[in-house]
Amino acid sequence: MTLIRMSGITKRYPGTVALDRVDFHLKEGEIVSLLGENGAGKTTLMKVLYGMTIPEEGDVFYKEEKVRMRKPTDAIEMGICMVHQHFMLVPAFTVTENIVVGSEPHKGIFLDLEQSKKEVGELIKKFGFHISPDTEVEKLSVGEQQRVEILKALYRKADVIILDEPTAVLTPTEVDELFEILGTLKKEGKSIILITHKLKETIAIADRVVILRDGKLIKDNVDPAQASVESLSEMMVGRHVDLSVRRPAKEIGEVCLHVKDLCVTEDGQDKLKQINLDVHRGEILGIAGIEGNGQTQLIEALTGLRKPQSMTLDLDGTAVSGSADVFLKRKIAHIPEDRLKLGLVKELSIRDNLILGYHREPDFCNKYSLLKRSYIRQYAKKLKERFLVKAPSVETAISSLSGGNQQKVVIARAFSRDPDALIIAHPTRGVDIGAMEYIHQQMTQLRDSGKAILLISADLDEVRVLSDRILVLYEGEIVRESMPGELNEVQLGLLMTGAKSALEKGV
Amino acid sequence: MREKIQQIKDTKAFQSLITSVIALVISLLLGAVIISLSGYSPVESYKAILGFSLGTKNGIALSLSQATPIMFTGLAVAIAYKVKMINTGAEGQLYVGAIAAAVAGAYITFLPRAVHIPAAMLCGFMAGGLAALFVAFLKVRFGAGEVITSLMLNQVLILFTSYLANGPLKPDGSSLPQTEMVQETARLTRLIPKTQLTTALLVAVITAFILHFILTRTAYGYEMKATGLNVDAAKTAGIHVSGIYLRTFFISGAIAGLCGASMALGTNHRFVEGFSVNYGFAGISVAALAAYNPLGVILSAFLFGVLKAGSITLNRTTAVPMEFVDVIQVLVVILVAAPTLIRTLTRPFSVLAKGGK
Amino acid sequence: MGNISNLAYIVLVSTLRMSVPLILAATGGAFSIRCGVSDLGCEGMMIAGAFFGMLGSYITGNPWLGLVSAMLFGAVFSMIHAVMHVTYRVNATISGMCVNLLGTAITPLLLQVIWGIRGKSVQVAAFSALNLEWMKKIPVIGRMMAAQNIIFYLTIVLVVLGWMFLFKTTAGLRMRMVSENPQAASTVGINVTGYKYFGVMMSGVFCGLGGAYLSLGQMNMFIDGMTSGRGYIAVVINAFGRFNPLGALAGSIFFGFFDSLQTVFQGSVIPTQWMMMLPYILTLAVISVGLRKSRSPAGVGKHHD
Repeated sequence: MTLIRMSGITKRYPGTVALDRVDFHLKEGEIVSLLGENGAGKTTLMKVLYGMTIPEEGDVFYKEEKVRMRKPTDAIEMGICMVHQHFMLVPAFTVTENIVVGSEPHKGIFLDLEQSKKEVGELIKKFGFHISPDTEVEKLSVGEQQRVEILKALYRKADVIILDEPTAVLTPTEVDELFEILGTLKKEGKSIILITHKLKETIAIADRVVILRDGKLIKDNVDPAQASVESLSEMMVGRHVDLSVRRPAKEIGEVCLHVKDLCVTEDGQDKLKQINLDVHRGEILGIAGIEGNGQTQLIEALTGLRKPQSMTLDLDGTAVSGSADVFLKRKIAHIPEDRLKLGLVKELSIRDNLILGYHREPDFCNKYSLLKRSYIRQYAKKLKERFLVKAPSVETAISSLSGGNQQKVVIARAFSRDPDALIIAHPTRGVDIGAMEYIHQQMTQLRDSGKAILLISADLDEVRVLSDRILVLYEGEIVRESMPGELNEVQLGLLMTGAKSALEKGV
Repeated sequence: MREKIQQIKDTKAFQSLITSVIALVISLLLGAVIISLSGYSPVESYKAILGFSLGTKNGIALSLSQATPIMFTGLAVAIAYKVKMINTGAEGQLYVGAIAAAVAGAYITFLPRAVHIPAAMLCGFMAGGLAALFVAFLKVRFGAGEVITSLMLNQVLILFTSYLANGPLKPDGSSLPQTEMVQETARLTRLIPKTQLTTALLVAVITAFILHFILTRTAYGYEMKATGLNVDAAKTAGIHVSGIYLRTFFISGAIAGLCGASMALGTNHRFVEGFSVNYGFAGISVAALAAYNPLGVILSAFLFGVLKAGSITLNRTTAVPMEFVDVIQVLVVILVAAPTLIRTLTRPFSVLAKGGK
Repeated sequence: MGNISNLAYIVLVSTLRMSVPLILAATGGAFSIRCGVSDLGCEGMMIAGAFFGMLGSYITGNPWLGLVSAMLFGAVFSMIHAVMHVTYRVNATISGMCVNLLGTAITPLLLQVIWGIRGKSVQVAAFSALNLEWMKKIPVIGRMMAAQNIIFYLTIVLVVLGWMFLFKTTAGLRMRMVSENPQAASTVGINVTGYKYFGVMMSGVFCGLGGAYLSLGQMNMFIDGMTSGRGYIAVVINAFGRFNPLGALAGSIFFGFFDSLQTVFQGSVIPTQWMMMLPYILTLAVISVGLRKSRSPAGVGKHHD
């Protein structure tokens, strides 16, 4: 039976058409993967289904009856629940409280905590989720938190569960566990919609693939058994994209950045334990690892933003220590992991942002601390042209730019100061594919001009494509060094989750 | 041509100017409502205010002299807000500034005027600055929000100066809570004789220009803007934000201290308990109307000075309470803070203007 | 010996009396924070309560109706904070300060407009100490309890009710979720805006009541500026008490003790100004070093979209 039918859904926002007469259907007991690039419209389409967005045109039919969803509670009542990409949980509340809030068992106006715990406990056992109802959610792992989100849907007797980018934050092992759960849910008669841009996982779990591009439905009956990563990505992007071409380093030189005995302790925990690494000139050293294993602390220690418990840091043989401005002056540049939070001041113009961090250097500022305004303007214009930043002028505020162009400003700023070493974090997060290609290009060019680059990224594909050497970071330690091609994705994934011994045994 | 106008209309500066103007107009209208509710004619009242404050020599002098203290506090609040710190402590800072200047002015007898005045003003400057620095220190070191700590310190400082004026610093034989008269050599010159307008006005205006220069042309001003708009990005860029908070808040308090000093040296020639008619809090309104822009503060302080001078006079001839200006001031802050609210309130008018298209 | 126990009695009675407005305002603050809105507007709501409580009693001659008026106008003032912050997305610190500034500016104006006087109002019907004979007979604390007025006991009841609402009811759980993660709350169908308005309104009611205690319980008139920063102290007490009405109770008594010292030591060698400074210095100390362990709900100041 066709459980859900959406026909002719159109959603317009000022300046764009997010969805253009899109049709979608879901059968009972099937797992459908909704595939598309960032901005293709997949989340918007599901928001319509979930009642969070109201379309301009189009109808939604649930169990062959026309329905009108005005708010999430309408959808929940019908049995459609969404598990969001960024978990909608309260870290300070317990598992039970998070699951029942909004539909609580109650005695009059009072919350019936006993009954809540009982019901939640039963659900956990039924689906084999292995979490305790009384634990505070902040104490759970990411995979366990996701299970709490799924339990929320099951508690509300959902028949349709929509998962938005569920594997983005999971390790390969946790992904397998999730897929097992999805299989169990399917056996129980639930229907599942997976919003994703991860091609390999789509092929692994989905019964059927639906592809959206630029707000339009491209194809809604792709058989994953017949498809390949290449064919899917071509349909998603509309052209042939090869992000997997490696451009190996031409010439790897001397050690430029030498790090020894780096230890960081935070809140009584050892976040980094005796890290030693060397980055050579002309090399991109990639740090692979799941977020939360010490990457942020590593970045902060190597850019002067955090004073580590111990560290020896040499740049071309000379020691470097001090605060962030010292590091910048010593030509260790930094592309921060969150551009809007750490890299840019969005209310200021492109011009003002292009000197951020370097504003006291002699070419921008004279000895009386006065800014050389006309020189700065010329400099900004040059950089905007060179790095193809799409904007009306250098006076445009950063907030008006797309993610990719914003990131180009950050890159332009750091790359143009002739740094010796660069610490680059998640350079293409939230950036469209075109800008992603450009940024990768710029990075390899910079490397080939003899600079030392340390790349930290949660995107394993990006690390594997760009790096000349990979270090795996797990729980604050470098657990393995790998040359290109030495280890495959699964092996790297295992190392990232600490399954070192399993790897050794060749499991 | 039309495009150029549209471009200007789109700039943030123009938008805040419009917001401020509309806020002032709406507040004046609401003030008119208050006046008529008290049983008087708003038209007559406003006419009287403008007629006196802008029309007569004494009126203009009074307007300018009322504008001077709130120009100082307005600048203090504005500069602090540039780094997103809210200086609610201007009242306490100006009290210690006043007493420090009064003491320096009264008990030092050997300096010529050209040195005594700057020295006494400097004492007021430092006293206010140190008071603010203490608050900023608590924020930087302990994360204590400056809004409440400043307000608490206000109470402490005002009580402290009251203690001094009632006790140790009270001249023998005096029954009023105030300090010794300030020496001749420390008294500020009157700009217009027999009025309360002193050279302090010039000091305030010059301070405004200095602050504007710092903000737009120096590296320090750039760091202030970055810190105020995105402190995390500023830190990542190597800016020492703690230092920025400390220095900027010190400057803010110091300017408020100058307010007190100018009152003590210029207007009262001594420290008098309770001399401040909420200048510290009026500064918040002045700064808000000026969109926290130092040059704008000059104009905004003048506007409020006109209103204040007018209300004082109005209260002498009619029974319209002076306090309605205070309420107008608060309304301005509320309306400036909520530009979207203004848009909602003025929508009926803009629809009318466009001919109901 | 008798003198010391007499002194202790005076201090204890005074402590309890001085703590009532703080307890009420801090509980109001708890409601505000627990719906995700900063409680900085307490001072303005308190002074509104003090004035309009007095006005209510003046017009009707009945202090109980004065209390009703205080709660009503406390709620009205709180709506300014709510509209500015929740609907128009103004920074909560600024909108809270606007409420405070408005309260401070409008009350002297109203004194002028209604009676043509400055500084303090006429005397009105107020609450006096209970002085119930049966109460005085209770050992140890009996005399102290009888020396309080009815609002003290009302306060205890309200604090317990407030605690029960926040932590034992389903509505309280939902409101607390709004304060922790408003976006998440809206995805399970909770009316985030509704709960925020409700929480802020309750804070207005409580703070207004706290202010009314000043003009109708401690005194029988309104004095310009009579809140003297107590609203801000209540904000700190609320944080100190972990945003829980029961914690506010304990913290307020602690502060109330210091507040009471100034009445006790009046006329002594130590100048009054120094005694009056004590509560503020204490607040400075607490806000600097005493709030270490206190973590406010994660979603305060955030909106659901």
